[in-house]
Amino acid sequence: MKILLVDDEKKFASMLAKRLELRGIKVDYFFEATNAIQEVENGKKYDVAILDVKMPGMGGIELRRKLSRMDSDLKFIFLTGHGSNVDYKTGVSEASYYLPKPLKINDLIETLYLVAPEKTT
Amino acid sequence: MKQKFHSFFFILWPRFFRELSEHIIPYLTFNNYPRIWVRGILILVSTSLIPLFVMTGIYYQLIEKSIDNALILRTERVASNTRRAVSFFFEERLAALKFMVNDRDYKDLINPTQLSEILKNLKLGFGGLTDLSVIDYNGTQLTYAGPYNLEGKDYSQQNWFLECQKRNAYVSEVFSGYRGVPHIVVAVKHTRPDGNFFIIRATLETERLFNAVTSYKSGTYADIFMINHDGVVQSPSKYYEKKTRRISIEVPEYSSRTKALLTKDRKGIPVIVSYAFINTSITPTPFILIVVKEKEGVSVMKIWLGLKTNFNLFLAISAMVIVLIMSLTATSLINKIYFADRSKAEAMLSAEQKGQLASIGQLAAGVAHEINNPLALINETAGYIKDLFVIKSQYQDDPELIEQIDVILDAVERCGAITRQLLGFARQLDVESRSLNLKVMMTNLLSFFQKEAEYRNISILLDVEDGTPSIETDRKKLQQILLNLINNAFQAMDKDGNLSIKIGIVGTDMVRISIEDSGCGIEEHHLNKIFDPFFTTKQEGKGTGLGLSITFGLVKKLHGNISVNSKVGEGTTFVITLPINFKKEEKHENSTG
Repeated sequence: MKILLVDDEKKFASMLAKRLELRGIKVDYFFEATNAIQEVENGKKYDVAILDVKMPGMGGIELRRKLSRMDSDLKFIFLTGHGSNVDYKTGVSEASYYLPKPLKINDLIETLYLVAPEKTT
Repeated sequence: MKQKFHSFFFILWPRFFRELSEHIIPYLTFNNYPRIWVRGILILVSTSLIPLFVMTGIYYQLIEKSIDNALILRTERVASNTRRAVSFFFEERLAALKFMVNDRDYKDLINPTQLSEILKNLKLGFGGLTDLSVIDYNGTQLTYAGPYNLEGKDYSQQNWFLECQKRNAYVSEVFSGYRGVPHIVVAVKHTRPDGNFFIIRATLETERLFNAVTSYKSGTYADIFMINHDGVVQSPSKYYEKKTRRISIEVPEYSSRTKALLTKDRKGIPVIVSYAFINTSITPTPFILIVVKEKEGVSVMKIWLGLKTNFNLFLAISAMVIVLIMSLTATSLINKIYFADRSKAEAMLSAEQKGQLASIGQLAAGVAHEINNPLALINETAGYIKDLFVIKSQYQDDPELIEQIDVILDAVERCGAITRQLLGFARQLDVESRSLNLKVMMTNLLSFFQKEAEYRNISILLDVEDGTPSIETDRKKLQQILLNLINNAFQAMDKDGNLSIKIGIVGTDMVRISIEDSGCGIEEHHLNKIFDPFFTTKQEGKGTGLGLSITFGLVKKLHGNISVNSKVGEGTTFVITLPINFKKEEKHENSTG
């Protein structure tokens, strides 16, 4: 399984990536949406994108729209530190999964399996 | 009874005297209800009473004027009748003397027996005659008929003789004779064929004259009498006889006709005076007839005065009823205004309190978001360390471990900083007035909007002019004001906006804070309404319309001013000016107000 992680909290992103890799999941992480788009444009293929909803510049929701236009098979999981209903609703309406920050690593793993079951083996 | 009186008074006594809580006063539209109340009553009462009193006054004057005219006419008539009687009295006697000197021979007249005979006949005809005498042109008395024989007496230097010589006839003033009985002398001059003249003189008793005069008197408050040209009373008078015998009314100017006037006598009692100079066709007399009537003694006047008392009583009662009703009306009207104003003020007060809570709540939500990020970091870092322990077994002597612990500590520090900020902000809310640095305060406030600004790509520019002093003001209120305005600016802007905040000094004692956004702007016809309570352009249920109204109220409470400048599509600028020393301003205001 190959994961694309985008979050403006640099330490957080790198730490989460390390933890996932310890569990045998390959992760590319970026701190800005534009860099991630660049990477996909360059032909990189991912199974699941884990995106932070609120980011300076382009947020997670917009990034998802752009990424799915480039790769329609890509699945999405949203992360947010804002525990408000608005974000939750946005997440659900976009037919994606939503996880609050701080997150439990096992919840994330479970969600990954749920989103992309065929890639788990 | 006392209870009843109290409850009655309760209706009249407006509510705002009884219940006016301090905290609500700044929110009332009118701040001096007692003055409005008093003014309202005065206006209502005067607009209803002044016309009433003016009309009554005019009516009274008209009535009194017409009564006066009637009284003057009546008095004049009495005077005129009496004058005719008195003139006739003298004319009759002078005519009798004239007839005598023409009818009788001079020799008969200087014959004492004949003269006594004539006196006897005259007494029979007229009565009231004391004596009769004949005086020659030298002034020497030739013949005398009567009780006192003064034959040979020389009258040549006496006034009456000279007067009679000049005017051919004479009527004297009243004088007391030898027996203390008042007398009047009448005399007639006759020129004999040889050119020499003689005078025939008669002494009259005054009783018949006085009776004739007083017979015209009517009513208890009237007086008829005669005075001479010097003002000395000549006949019995009810009011003017005693003491100096001089009337207090001035001696009138000569008039051939009967005249009347309104005046006041010595005691200040209003009187109608009618006078007539008494002249006969033969000679003028020294008498002036005076008729005096006390106004109040006349029956028409009496009826009017009685009516007037009733009128006045009615007027007084009406006035009292009007004052009472108008006071009640004013009280109830102003009470209604007060109630409306009070409920508006209460709504504003509670909205302000709610508004405060809402923005603190808003702040808390923001803070939660901010804390969640470092917490997530702690979570991941700690989780990674745990992973190192669980998944990797090479944890000992691993420098990476120390690094991760530093990350945890750093994240904890970030959380701490945010909570400190929040606590600091909350604590500041309690402080009433303290010197504060606007730059520090604004930076603190903006830190709560920083993430929001980053997400929406809004650039925030804070420009504090050099030399801007710290200001002495109510921190809580100022924070609320600035929060509201920055919040509004953020709401007005979409993505990629600019928020520019400039702080500077105005004059020597004011600071100026301008908050400029590049948002949607306010339509021109809304600009003058935005500070009105309950005005909102937001959708139903989205805004209370109280935000700017409260902000406006808060700025005023800090003795500042707020103004707005806006263009649709270009943005909005709010400018606040505040006194550097709010307390000083307040003291100044107290001393001048």
